[in-house]
Amino acid sequence: MAEITYRQALHDVLREELLRDENVFLIGEEIGTFEGSYKITAGLLKEFGPKRVVDTPICENGFVGMAAGAAMLGLHPIVEIMTINFIALAMDQIVNHAAKIYAMFGGQCPVPLVIRTPGGGGQQLSATHSQNLEVWFAYIPGLKVVAPSTPADAKGMMRTAVGDNNPVIFLENLALYNTKGEAPADDYFVPFGEAKVSKEGADLTVISYSRMAAVALDVARRLEQENELSVEVVDLRSLRPLDHETITNSVKKTNRAIIFEEDWRSYGVGAEVAATLQEEAFDYLDAPIKRVASLEVPLPYSKPLETAALTGAKQLLESINELAPRRRRGIKR
Amino acid sequence: MSEVNMPRLSDTMQEGTIAHWYKKPGDEVKKGDVLAEIETDKATMELQAYDSGVLEQILVQEGETVPIGQAVAIIGSGDGVQKQEQPAAEKIGRSAQEQKQATIVETSTNEQGQTAQQASPPRRADIRYPPATPAPDTSSIPTKSERPEAEESSDGRSIKASPLARRMAEEHNIDMGQIQGTGPGGRIVRDDIEDFLEQKPGAPGPAALPSEGPAIAAEVSIPPDAEIIQLSRMQTSIAQRLSESKQTIPHFYVSSEVDMTEALLMRQTFNVGVGEDGVKVSVNDLIVKACALALEKFPEFNSSFKSGQFIRYKHINIGIAVDIPSGLVVPVIRDANIKGVRIIARESKALIEKARANKLSQTDLEGATFSISNLGMMDVTDFIAVINPPQAAILAVASTRKRFVPIDDQPVIRDLMSITISADHRILYGAQVARFLQEVKRLLQNPYNLLG
Repeated sequence: MAEITYRQALHDVLREELLRDENVFLIGEEIGTFEGSYKITAGLLKEFGPKRVVDTPICENGFVGMAAGAAMLGLHPIVEIMTINFIALAMDQIVNHAAKIYAMFGGQCPVPLVIRTPGGGGQQLSATHSQNLEVWFAYIPGLKVVAPSTPADAKGMMRTAVGDNNPVIFLENLALYNTKGEAPADDYFVPFGEAKVSKEGADLTVISYSRMAAVALDVARRLEQENELSVEVVDLRSLRPLDHETITNSVKKTNRAIIFEEDWRSYGVGAEVAATLQEEAFDYLDAPIKRVASLEVPLPYSKPLETAALTGAKQLLESINELAPRRRRGIKR
Repeated sequence: MSEVNMPRLSDTMQEGTIAHWYKKPGDEVKKGDVLAEIETDKATMELQAYDSGVLEQILVQEGETVPIGQAVAIIGSGDGVQKQEQPAAEKIGRSAQEQKQATIVETSTNEQGQTAQQASPPRRADIRYPPATPAPDTSSIPTKSERPEAEESSDGRSIKASPLARRMAEEHNIDMGQIQGTGPGGRIVRDDIEDFLEQKPGAPGPAALPSEGPAIAAEVSIPPDAEIIQLSRMQTSIAQRLSESKQTIPHFYVSSEVDMTEALLMRQTFNVGVGEDGVKVSVNDLIVKACALALEKFPEFNSSFKSGQFIRYKHINIGIAVDIPSGLVVPVIRDANIKGVRIIARESKALIEKARANKLSQTDLEGATFSISNLGMMDVTDFIAVINPPQAAILAVASTRKRFVPIDDQPVIRDLMSITISADHRILYGAQVARFLQEVKRLLQNPYNLLG
């Protein structure tokens, strides 16, 4: 298997989809001539022409609405919102139209729309350009929200997204684009609503998604090497639908859970996961479920302040040490 | 608002009983005020306030036992004082009250990650808090000790346990009242249940842990006319520590007889001049001194075994077992090797009086490095004692009796006293103990050595 970057994986899968189905087209700001702010669409305008790779004015509500309309008429638009922060402008089209048209009009026409957009902070882009707003969408019935953390999952989930008849918010992350991982070359799909146990463990479970799932995996591997703790890592991959079974089974095994999320703590993804766990695995819990999330402030520009506000490996390690059981079950057995 | 928690008042303390509340809800308290009297496994001590304010709630009633760290009361802040002074609050409807109560609890449990602005309690002028009422009324406020998970143990105290621990206890038929939680705030977690299950020895003897209660009860049918007596805190502690000692420490025993004729004579002479209010030296005081001097000579006796290491103590502190109506206590005579017998006599008399009056303090009971159990006054020929952990040995002293002893092949009447050392074989070996015993014997048989 070849090791490729997350960026390359997205580029490759978009190109494959454009080749596979002429109804697939890309639309967004600066994706054509400029080849995308994060170069995901590099070379695609040249290869497929302006009908398949559409540059738009700065008007999120307009082009998302256009894409939704195109989807209703049978095309498969893949929208790029330059960063998730700009999606606020398109909320009406996403929430009030794309998410509801199928249900409100008697199932006459599905809306097979994919919106890809990166979230995340840590790049000194300040408060309005560093947010994690995925819960806004995960909250909405009628939408699907996925957040792969590896190049392989990014490819497999993009294929599933294009093939899905519902609007899909495909969450990427600025800090994931350069990360590398192995991705199979064949035409595989990663289904929605299936979390992945990316590392098995016995002492406690860390549940995460997107970039923090990658950080969690690093931390867990490091802890295992240092022979300290056996941490299980569950990568949600899909926020809506949420895979109850995998997270519940993991916690039934380890009895302790941390939800590690880059978004804010209150009302965040962790809140939903924690509620699900206590509903479905209450009798297996040996400690209160912990949430490790970013500080609830508008993200500062200043690098030291930004670093202080964002959550990361350090915060996760501290929480793991706090939550870890006295008796170790994993490694030393 | 701050919680008053059950403090750890001694090294071995795991839980405490509220013997008496000196304050009631609504009382103003100052930092340092005595709030309550706490009964531990060893002594009765005072619970002091660490904050000033108003005692808003009593969470643990008199007679109830809770693990260390658990909240027993809540002292209000400045806001709390104001709340208490709002007589108009009584007019507030029940639901309004509950709403405000919920607000208090929520703001106090706010965790990290919130901005300070969000975490601060509401300060609107029209907010009224419920008035201070006796504990039973205010106890409707959900608190840590009264979460839905709270369960009552057989002796009626509420227990904090994780859902998993609770389920495991149910599956294994364990009374969680016997388990000491090691989770946050004394919560019982999976580890504690597993520890407990592993500790269960295969064949419990008659001196089994009190935690073996249900297992034995299952085997032995209790006749309907039998009386069932609950253990006091002290009895529970004794049962636990001594069964632990006998089950985990490899005891071995060495006995000897000491000719006490000279010592008794010396003691008599010694006490002649003591007036009515003076302190007479007892045989036990002489034994204390003899042991202390022998310990000085054999420092390996003055040590503990801990995690594969010997801990050798500098100070020689002798514990003397004292029989009291409610059980047994072992107050300590410190640095007995450097104290004269008269000082030892005075201290030991004071300690025994305090013990009988139930007035021993924590300090009186801590730090013994060797113990003496003396049943000499009760006409016993011989007995052996159980080591008092973490000490290395204990000396059991039986009665002194007149015996014929062959001296120069002639029967001579002498006063003989039988003594037996119980020693921890991880620390001490047979010959060492014999030599130690010889030294004790030599000192007592040449009693003027004790006066050095």
